[in-house]
Amino acid sequence: MNPAEVNASSDAQISSEVMSDLPMAADHHHDEAGNSMFGFIVFLLSESVIFLSFFAGYIVYKTTALDWLPSGVTGLEIREPAINTVVLVSSSFVIYFAERFLHAKNLWGFRFFWLLTMAMGSYFLYGQAVEWRSLEFGFTDGVFGGSFYLLTGFHGLHVLTGILLQTLMLGRSFIPGNYDGGEFGVAATSLFWHFVDVIWIILFVLIYVWQ
Amino acid sequence: MMGRMNSRTVFTLGLVAIALALVSFWVGQQAYSWLPPQASAESILVDQLFSFMVTIGAFIFLGVLGALTYSALFQRAGKYDASDGPHIEGNVTLEVVWTAIPLVLVIWIAGYSYRTYDQMSILGSMEHIHMGMATAEAVSLIEDTDAISEPEPVEQIDVYARQWVWEFRYPQLNITSTELHVPNNQRIRLALHSEDVLHGFFVPAFRVKQDVIPGQVIDFEFTPIREGRYRLRDSQYSGTYFAAMQADVVVESPEDYQQWLSTTATQPPVTAYNQAFDEHQRAHNFISTGWKSVEPAPPPVVNYPSSQASNP
Amino acid sequence: MTNLSVDATAQVGQPLPGAPNNWKRFFSFSTDHKVIGIQYLVTSFFFFLVGGVFAMIIRGELITPEADLLDRTVYNAMFTMHGTVMLFLWTFPSLVGLSNYLVPLMIGAKDMAFPRLNAAAFWMVPVFGVILMASFLVPGGPSQSGWWAYPPVSLQNPTGNFINGQVLWILAVAISGVSSIMGAINFVTTIVRMRAPGMTWFRMPAFVWTVFAAQIIQLFGLPALTAGAVMLLLDITVGTSFFDPAKGGDPVLFQHLFWFYSHPAVYVIILPIFGIFSEIFPVYARKPLFGYKVVAVSSLIITGLSGIVWVHHMFASGTPGWMRMVFMATTMLISVPTGIKVFAWVATIWGGKLRLTTPMLFALGGLTMFVFAGVTGIMLASAPFDIHVNNTYFVVGHFHYVIYGAVVMGMYAAFYHWFPKMTGRMYSEGLGKLHFALTLLGTNLNFLPMHPLGLQGMPRRVASYDPEFAFWNVVASIGAFLLGMSTLPFILNMIGSWVQGEKADKNPWRAIGLEWLVSSPPTPENFEELPIVVAEPYGYGKSEPLVANADKLEVAHESR
Repeated sequence: MNPAEVNASSDAQISSEVMSDLPMAADHHHDEAGNSMFGFIVFLLSESVIFLSFFAGYIVYKTTALDWLPSGVTGLEIREPAINTVVLVSSSFVIYFAERFLHAKNLWGFRFFWLLTMAMGSYFLYGQAVEWRSLEFGFTDGVFGGSFYLLTGFHGLHVLTGILLQTLMLGRSFIPGNYDGGEFGVAATSLFWHFVDVIWIILFVLIYVWQ
Repeated sequence: MMGRMNSRTVFTLGLVAIALALVSFWVGQQAYSWLPPQASAESILVDQLFSFMVTIGAFIFLGVLGALTYSALFQRAGKYDASDGPHIEGNVTLEVVWTAIPLVLVIWIAGYSYRTYDQMSILGSMEHIHMGMATAEAVSLIEDTDAISEPEPVEQIDVYARQWVWEFRYPQLNITSTELHVPNNQRIRLALHSEDVLHGFFVPAFRVKQDVIPGQVIDFEFTPIREGRYRLRDSQYSGTYFAAMQADVVVESPEDYQQWLSTTATQPPVTAYNQAFDEHQRAHNFISTGWKSVEPAPPPVVNYPSSQASNP
Repeated sequence: MTNLSVDATAQVGQPLPGAPNNWKRFFSFSTDHKVIGIQYLVTSFFFFLVGGVFAMIIRGELITPEADLLDRTVYNAMFTMHGTVMLFLWTFPSLVGLSNYLVPLMIGAKDMAFPRLNAAAFWMVPVFGVILMASFLVPGGPSQSGWWAYPPVSLQNPTGNFINGQVLWILAVAISGVSSIMGAINFVTTIVRMRAPGMTWFRMPAFVWTVFAAQIIQLFGLPALTAGAVMLLLDITVGTSFFDPAKGGDPVLFQHLFWFYSHPAVYVIILPIFGIFSEIFPVYARKPLFGYKVVAVSSLIITGLSGIVWVHHMFASGTPGWMRMVFMATTMLISVPTGIKVFAWVATIWGGKLRLTTPMLFALGGLTMFVFAGVTGIMLASAPFDIHVNNTYFVVGHFHYVIYGAVVMGMYAAFYHWFPKMTGRMYSEGLGKLHFALTLLGTNLNFLPMHPLGLQGMPRRVASYDPEFAFWNVVASIGAFLLGMSTLPFILNMIGSWVQGEKADKNPWRAIGLEWLVSSPPTPENFEELPIVVAEPYGYGKSEPLVANADKLEVAHESR
């Protein structure tokens, strides 16, 4: 009935000290990292429905609106976003290598590829910002303007969240013994990153390819 | 209990079922009296459907209620009886039956409802026509195809809804009115327009209802069959004076209707009474906060201001 | 979550062994699921009373045909807030509270999977409750667009202020959504991964099945509402035109996003009530739940079907005929798994040895009201009939039979049934039966008259009506005030019995279930040793043990 034990049986990042201190930790019902990962996947599934709703809305607007593009706008430039897409999608492979290195206990290899992922993500955000600045319509310009900025902005927020999580994980990798209790934080961040990439691919097809 | 059934149990069950069926049938017949007068061809169809569903619903409800009441009255444990009931975990036959019967019932109800809806065909051509350049083209297109497939409805009337006014326009004679006049026994087609928010066109005596959606013109049809004066109510919440947004519908003989049209055509437009606008000018109620409302639209200027002006 | 953990360690919320079980823990950031459960229940009941006051003000206005008691703006704010409070601050949190208390106990876990997430989710409830109530203080008052917040009415902002009732409403609903999603993740993870040894899926109590089914709906449904709310908020605040037809937007799209969640939300509410019925009937009829496995699985079938019925709320809206027919068919189908449950309960009760205690009475009353609501529900699924009664008092009557008749009565049944477990005290049967009689009478007096009113064509949400509707409105108003009164014996009973009720032992109802094998109230971690489950959950009528280690679930000396 140690009160600390109650707190130990909790979510997200569990510190290794607590894990090794308590006899209960071995019990499969206290598989914290497993619970957390399961919960995180459930969260991502749920989160994907928000995007699905936005996508559905976009499709409805695009197929029913009479004046789809704001006057003076002919379409979206696809070249720069395509390069951006390639960078973001490749970063999914890069983050996978980072994870592999972590599994192999090669921390510096992990950090290198992890940082590379962050750089690619940041490049994507930068490219997005450049594109936004160059556009001649704003988010109040009809349903097209609104949906475009809503979708890309909401996705961009997720990319930013991913980069912040990655920064946090990078920092934590310098804590000695950080991975003794498992690699949940890294695994979850990586999964989140794949999720963000998949969403972007759908988004890219909907907004840029299907014009 | 649920196991073997002897002939006496079967007999009792059968008797109970017949009694229930008779009572349910009687309840179903009462259902007509719970509804407003049948003033449209559609109302006859809807009421029959409702009566049918009340019959079935009464059978189910009374059956369940009866079983529960019987248990509660006659199957109670004695005060000091701490024993359990029989350990019955289920009965596959019974479970199949009470899955199959409701399934058949709802398919029956759905089929009946489908037929009824089809016969009503209240939505003229369910095309959503957006305002703008395409409108005129689309309208003419739809009317052309309709003219081929079905007899042209006799009357076409434009309905304009705005916060919180109903206004009716008869395009042939360019008449406006705050009272909807329609000829008896003829198919009526309305074109529903909203100028601000969602409204709902609802005439209880006709059993028909349709949301009026800004940015779209919705064709809506029905056939009045009974002369009289009925209420038209806004059925989709439309803001502060929603409840006051009512109007009268007058069903009259085709002769009287023609008479009304020709008389009204000669009337100069006057400002009609509008309850929302009027109330907005007046003082507040018992519990009053001064919370601001959307300004009501000005009272409409029409050839025929309704004779029965005031609503509660 | 890292910051929170520091807090939680600092003020552990649990009494140390030997320390008094003091009331202050209910005001702390406790991570004990039982404390959180009671926090939810008490908070939500407070808001139930608030929503009830709004309801009585509404019925006060409707006692006469004219709009003479309140300004129309105030009336509109009242029904908007009544609906919002009752759903987001009473039914959802109260059921989450009950589930929070029961699920870990019922599946043999020491706590929820994520206790700190659990506590954080709870503390959001008072936060958004305060935000919602604060909207009474902003110029222009609270939202007046109904709990559906349909645009364009919800986009009209007569005060022109940036901070207005509608914006605060969206904010409150959004926080409620985040809280619910956090709860849903926690429940699903707990049920999937934290079951005790031997607690297979088909040994879980039916209540756990229903909670699982309900929380899955939250996970796939709520995000759609969130998406709609985000777009609505952008329309109001920064001038986008998603739902504003004047600028090319589509108000009907909002209805789809709204109902895609808000219809299944009804099942989020009713499913745990089904679970309560499934728990209570076997106990007081002394018989196993009839067709347990089918009842359990039908919850999941309801979850699946609930995602494809939403357009039945829009039969009179801008929907084409084919869509009306398709959704009529799907809606009809959902009555089949629901019917299976109803018949299973009747068969459970039939031939049992009934004990009509207060929880049993409430469950029986709730079941009866639910069957009535189900009958009118099938009628509403029929598109041509629905077109007549859509947006009339018939619908209001129907869903109040569901929400008050079945859900509130079911909640009361649960309150009484698990009161000894939660508090270690027995409630007063006399007051309980008085409460039941008043509730049953009040419910029918209040909500039955709404059916004839709707059939006659009285629209919902009206502040004034034609004099022909006066009679039934007076009856309904009397019923509403009676329902208001009916809460008094309940409150008296709960507080009085908690303070000085007779002490309850482990299992006063001789019920079968893991929660009844531990002391009342259970100790902070529920089980000293995890139970090893060896039997199905409803072994009434055959004496076999539920767990292999019943004597080791608790430490030898009583902790209190």
